[in-house]
Amino acid sequence: MNLNTDLLTLRSVSKSYGTVPVLHDIDLSIKDGEFLTVLGPSGSGKTTVLRLIGGLEPLTAGEIRLDGQDISRMPINRRPFNTVFQDYALFPHMTVSGNVGYGLSVRHIQRKEIARRVAEALELVQLGRFADRFPAQLSGGQRQRVALARALICQPRLILLDEPLAALDLELRRQMQEFLKSIQREIKTTFLFVTHDQEEAIGMADRICVMQAGHIRQLGTPHELYYKPNCEFVARFFGENNLVAGKLGPVQGEQRPIETALGRLICSISDQLHLKTAPDGASAFAAFRPEALRLADATDSGNRFSGTIADLAFAGSSTVATVTAGADTAVQRLRLRMPSRIDGSALKSGETVSLSFAPHEGHLVLA
Amino acid sequence: MSVAATTQPAEKRLSLLVTVLAFALPVIFVLVPLAIFLVYSFFSVDQGTIVFAPTLGNYARFFTDPIFLPVFWNTIVLCVSVAVICILLAYPAAYFLTTLKGRWRYALLMLLLVPLLMSYVIKIYAIRSILGLNGFLNKALVALGILDQPSTLFVFNMNAILLTLSLLLIPFAILPIFLSLERIPQTLLRASDDLGASGLQTFLRITLPLSLPGVASAASFVFVLAIGDFLTPQMVGGISGFTFGRILYSQFGTAYNWPFGAALSVALAIVVICAILIGERFGRNRGTSI
Amino acid sequence: MNALPRPSTIFLAAITTLVAVLLYSPLFVPIVSSFFTVSHGNVDWSSPTLSTYVALAENHDILAALRTTLIVGVCTVVLSVVSGTLLALYYHGRRSGRSILQFIIFLPFLMPPIISGLALLIFFREIGLERSLLTVVIGHTVFVLAIVYRTVLMRLQSMSRTLVEASYDLGATGWQTFWRIILPNLSSAMVGGAILAFALSFDETMITILVTGTQSTLPVRLWAMMRLGFSPDINALVALILMFTVLLCVLAARFLIPRQMATERT
Repeated sequence: MNLNTDLLTLRSVSKSYGTVPVLHDIDLSIKDGEFLTVLGPSGSGKTTVLRLIGGLEPLTAGEIRLDGQDISRMPINRRPFNTVFQDYALFPHMTVSGNVGYGLSVRHIQRKEIARRVAEALELVQLGRFADRFPAQLSGGQRQRVALARALICQPRLILLDEPLAALDLELRRQMQEFLKSIQREIKTTFLFVTHDQEEAIGMADRICVMQAGHIRQLGTPHELYYKPNCEFVARFFGENNLVAGKLGPVQGEQRPIETALGRLICSISDQLHLKTAPDGASAFAAFRPEALRLADATDSGNRFSGTIADLAFAGSSTVATVTAGADTAVQRLRLRMPSRIDGSALKSGETVSLSFAPHEGHLVLA
Repeated sequence: MSVAATTQPAEKRLSLLVTVLAFALPVIFVLVPLAIFLVYSFFSVDQGTIVFAPTLGNYARFFTDPIFLPVFWNTIVLCVSVAVICILLAYPAAYFLTTLKGRWRYALLMLLLVPLLMSYVIKIYAIRSILGLNGFLNKALVALGILDQPSTLFVFNMNAILLTLSLLLIPFAILPIFLSLERIPQTLLRASDDLGASGLQTFLRITLPLSLPGVASAASFVFVLAIGDFLTPQMVGGISGFTFGRILYSQFGTAYNWPFGAALSVALAIVVICAILIGERFGRNRGTSI
Repeated sequence: MNALPRPSTIFLAAITTLVAVLLYSPLFVPIVSSFFTVSHGNVDWSSPTLSTYVALAENHDILAALRTTLIVGVCTVVLSVVSGTLLALYYHGRRSGRSILQFIIFLPFLMPPIISGLALLIFFREIGLERSLLTVVIGHTVFVLAIVYRTVLMRLQSMSRTLVEASYDLGATGWQTFWRIILPNLSSAMVGGAILAFALSFDETMITILVTGTQSTLPVRLWAMMRLGFSPDINALVALILMFTVLLCVLAARFLIPRQMATERT
């Protein structure tokens, strides 16, 4: 395993159903051993990407390379990938061990060897006791783990997971997320995980690929996507970002101002070439997280504006205030997250406050 | 599916075979016979041999001869009556089934459908003996004082055909009506009750309209089965109970005029197709699926 | 429908009872007659007898017809299940030409049997095929094919598409997927279809009368005998057939109502 080599590369991959295009010119590299999550709303084409890689659907255009070799035309049953299906697709007429051993038995591997590896795989997913049950006799989480064991027993180069946790309830989903992650670390196989749940993506992935309307919008670590979204879609998709529209001002070193309804806001543009090269006056958004926004004190100089508390919502460890700010013609609704206090909030609804965020916590997104 | 992506030579040969079979089998054994049959209806018979020259004579004879059209019409009336009787009996029974709970509902449904699988010929025979002059029906009517003496009202005539066919075909009416009644969501009836409707109002204004598709398919079902039957009229109809099916059958037996029989079959097929289309048209659930 | 007032419930129950009596009376008559002597509509309840069953065992004519019926039934089942399953597999998930060919397959089932029977009769004559058990088997197969096809197709459609995908994904070939995944999942529907096909073939009369040769199946034999009136041993046969039919019914219900395992989809 080497995190720096590409296992699989998609080059200019397009896919249409009849005349309806679902993927436009996708380029994507999957690194050996990584946990890559493809994230997007329904209809974004994320499942199609997985099905194309798995060989469940033919490409319309482009190519898929494995270790540099084109496998676009390789039939599904010869690709060294295995899939965990959304509905698990466990064979109802076979026991758990029959299901898990299927991939080996169709390759005519000796019974003894199959039995040994099935036992091993079931041990790995902690289902040793359930070997002789039928899928119908298992719970959702158990079926999920059978599907996983079945996929990893053939020692595939890549395991494709198609929203495998979607059918589970919240608590179970949390457990399975940790479980999947730990398995992936243990067997060191590359995982391609498709989901529409951004929390799931952030919690599990080494890298996330955000898709929308058949395009890849951004590819990066969870941290990058969270703090440095490169477009409005990603900025809005990840949680409750505050976005304030405006026009870019001239670059000032590693920072750049943006003229907005809240006045001039200065944001960081470090390491982001496209923000540096964008022309003056270009439309953009200032993006800052609710936890970056805070009540200003006298020492705060930059990015200062006043607003009115519209609503306060207690959310356990934190309290979220909805603030309206800016002139009457362009009222902005912003969110401010602060630690909750045992003696209640210092703020009251209707109160006018002074707010600010530090320039290094602000980020620019081109419109 | 990408199944095609994995075909190997042996599979390709098989799939070719299956393709040929899939098209040839229905075409050779269903379409070709029916087509030949249709062509036959344009031939004629001269002194016991078939003349293979196209003519519309058979159809002209069907429409002009004083025998065939009245029998045709009477048979249609008979079969509509059979359908009506079957529905009048089947609807309350099907409704009663849906008022039952769980296992009882299906056990009783099964009970009412099992006679379908019993030998057809035997049932006709048994019904004939029940309806006969010395049969159980006459005995019962006399014993109840409804009749003074056994009547020939149900012996070897149209009435006998009507009753026999109805008795044979009731299960075919029960099933579609039951299925359409069962599909009506209970919540609709609750809602109607809740809005202050009486039981009868709920039935007349909610249940009945929503179950009409089932009634329509039941009616077309029974009608088609009744009009195609030539064994029952033959067995219980005697001389006076002459139906279209019997005339048709006789063209291939005693009358020996296959082309004319084929023309009569075309007329029968047209009526059947109309009945199926009507049943289909009204049998479709309009807006009842929620 | 649970808040029915009482009188209407009684009315409905009464009609249902009437319907049940009407449906079962024709079955009841021969069964009673198989154990008791009946003459002129009067049952002699005093002397139950099994003599009709003994007579049946010696009625070679009827037993031969029964044998013929069973042979025809088995051949019909084999032919219709094999071709019906292949057709269902072929047309499942295929759009082109499916609706037309499906319509053709259903025609013999929708058309009155007299039309299907006569069409086949002329067809066999045109191609020079003598009327025989073979023509009967063909007639029955054409008639029941739609039922088997539909039963198998419905099971195929309720089968999750991902099962086949998963099999390929795990490295199986087309054959392996067919034998190890598709067929086992279809088997209960195929058995159910086979039972239905057998039941229909067993009782098929109208097409058989038209296309049979010198050998008669049981219903045709009974039909011929009926004109003269039945000998009492026929009643014994009817009683036996009824028992057999009920057995078939129970079996069909068992196979057609899929086991929990077979329908499990998440």
